[in-house]
Amino acid sequence: MSDAALDRLGGVGAAAPALEIRRLTASYSSSPALWDVDALIPSGTLAAIVGPNGAGKSTLLKAAVGLIQPDAGHVLIEGRPAREALDRVAYVPQRDEVDWDFPVTVREVVEMGRYRSAGWISRLRKADHLHVEQALAKVRMTSFAGRQIGELSGGQRQRVFIARALAQDAPVMMLDEPFSGVDVRTEASLLGLLSEIRRTGRTVIVVHHDIGTVRSHFDWALLLNVRTIACGPVQESLSPEALRRAYGGLAGEEGNGEVVWIG
Amino acid sequence: MDRLIELIPLSYTDSVVLIGAVILGVAAGVLGAFAVLRQRSLVGDALSHAALPGVCVAFIATGAKDAVTLAVGAAVVGVIAAGLILVIERTGRIRPDAAIGVVLTGFFSLGIVMLTFLGNFNNSSQAGLDTYLFGQAAGLLVSDLTVMGLLCAASLGLVAVAFRPLKVALFDLSFAGSVGLPVRLLELAMTAMLVIAIVIGVRTVGAILMVAMLIVPTVTARQLTSRLSTLLVVAGIAGAVVGSAGSLISTGAGIPTGPVIVLVGFVVAMSAILLAPGRGVVWKAHRVTSERRRALNEGVLIDLETALQSGPPPTVGQLASLSGRPPAGLRRALRNLDRAGVLRRDGDRIALSATGTAAVQTLLDRRELWSAWLENGWRIELPDAGEPDPRDLRASLGDDLTDELLAFSRGGPGE
Repeated sequence: MSDAALDRLGGVGAAAPALEIRRLTASYSSSPALWDVDALIPSGTLAAIVGPNGAGKSTLLKAAVGLIQPDAGHVLIEGRPAREALDRVAYVPQRDEVDWDFPVTVREVVEMGRYRSAGWISRLRKADHLHVEQALAKVRMTSFAGRQIGELSGGQRQRVFIARALAQDAPVMMLDEPFSGVDVRTEASLLGLLSEIRRTGRTVIVVHHDIGTVRSHFDWALLLNVRTIACGPVQESLSPEALRRAYGGLAGEEGNGEVVWIG
Repeated sequence: MDRLIELIPLSYTDSVVLIGAVILGVAAGVLGAFAVLRQRSLVGDALSHAALPGVCVAFIATGAKDAVTLAVGAAVVGVIAAGLILVIERTGRIRPDAAIGVVLTGFFSLGIVMLTFLGNFNNSSQAGLDTYLFGQAAGLLVSDLTVMGLLCAASLGLVAVAFRPLKVALFDLSFAGSVGLPVRLLELAMTAMLVIAIVIGVRTVGAILMVAMLIVPTVTARQLTSRLSTLLVVAGIAGAVVGSAGSLISTGAGIPTGPVIVLVGFVVAMSAILLAPGRGVVWKAHRVTSERRRALNEGVLIDLETALQSGPPPTVGQLASLSGRPPAGLRRALRNLDRAGVLRRDGDRIALSATGTAAVQTLLDRRELWSAWLENGWRIELPDAGEPDPRDLRASLGDDLTDELLAFSRGGPGE
């Protein structure tokens, strides 16, 4: 499967895929959240992981960054086992996983992205501070650098998290539901930001639930419902047939053949 | 240690009490923060209560009554209690608060039973263990102080060295794991630090109330600072102040130390909760009140303008029926507006002064801007991630963007 997918990409196929998942099975307590999942996300794409609630999208991401131990299967990042490639991935967890009243400023959160490469004990160097400032500027949060994070809106918090990932300076960025709970304007602006990050040569992988924006903004999609339904360029993987298989009766077909996604 | 005691201008016993209280306060303040900020304060409570059976077991096993031996017992049983809480949470699918409740009461009851048992069999030898219920500052030995001091210094050293990993793990465990930090080990370290703080403090503060010394300094410090590094320092200082004030008062008055320390801590924490600039309850209430008053004043001003547009200057009664506002609120708003000089009284009829007309115009402009923003704001490219203040968009957007926005809304929906 991987060869075929790489061929379709032409020139990009030369590099190892950003993320390759082989027969991954992972479970919470008894029921499997992911079952025999195969997936391939080529380097340099803006890719979406889509699927209904409970499809295992977040679990897949967590397994890819080594936060949960899969029951079986492999995750390869740029051709290397995920656990050896931690420095190649910047992971952005869901916003509601953290306590936003935590006593920390915007700049300090972004600095956390530099700790791993700068050393967990030694002082941050000039280059590290430069990375931090650039990341803040990229997400347009420079003027908020000294704020306590609790004073920020949902969209601004997401920007801080993205800035921290940018500061990590990793070629692959993985974001878990970055658009949940932000208004339309912010979503559009964050989408623009992610496209911009992709244009700098990075791979951006986003857990997302809105098929419409995936179609219009993303170039690769992994359609997931515990098992892999489809994985490939958006126009192929999000076919009406595949969507029906992923969402069951919830996806209907309109007269013009265009699938309307309800839910 | 002796030289330090000589430096303090207090009696020998009081000096020992003071040093012990400062060590306990700093340890509980700094190390307690790692429980409070993880929302695991009550684990501290359970481990404190588990110190009671701990000291009993240590006494039964060794027959010794010195603070250090008993502290070892408290630590061992504390670790067992912490492990049990985790096991119940993980395997039994029981929520943390329930797991903590089960372990806390179970261990504490065991402690009370052991204490009674020891008392019945040999009345003289257990004497002293019951001070672990409510705490006693007096009677610490200089050797105890040395051990407490070393434990405290070692754990503060650990915090200093591992500050960044601890900070990242405290704030965002998933991120910590994703950058390869040993998350389980860090959680273990934070629990171990909690046990150390309890072991240092439980003799002075007592098993029942020890948790207050773990929580109060962090609550106080959080009201005063928004940076973790500063918070730890302030919590340490707050703990030291509360601990030493409480200890000295209690030994002077012959009351058990724990309750006095905790009362002092309560006063300190409540003052911070109420009065802290920015975060304090009083501060927030003031903001809410002035915001409500502003909204009321502006609303009445707009009502008045509406009335003036449709007819002659209204009386207060007419304005009340027109606006549908409660009369008391309306009169209050009119008083405020009078004081601001925006009203012109014409007998019992009300009109706008020159300043009033200008103020109404500004208000109407702002409202127009706000609806323009709601309708067309998405077309405006903002310079940064700032989100404009709806009450005064011109000030937060700047003149250029405001004009752009107005052009969109006046020009209609066409592109």
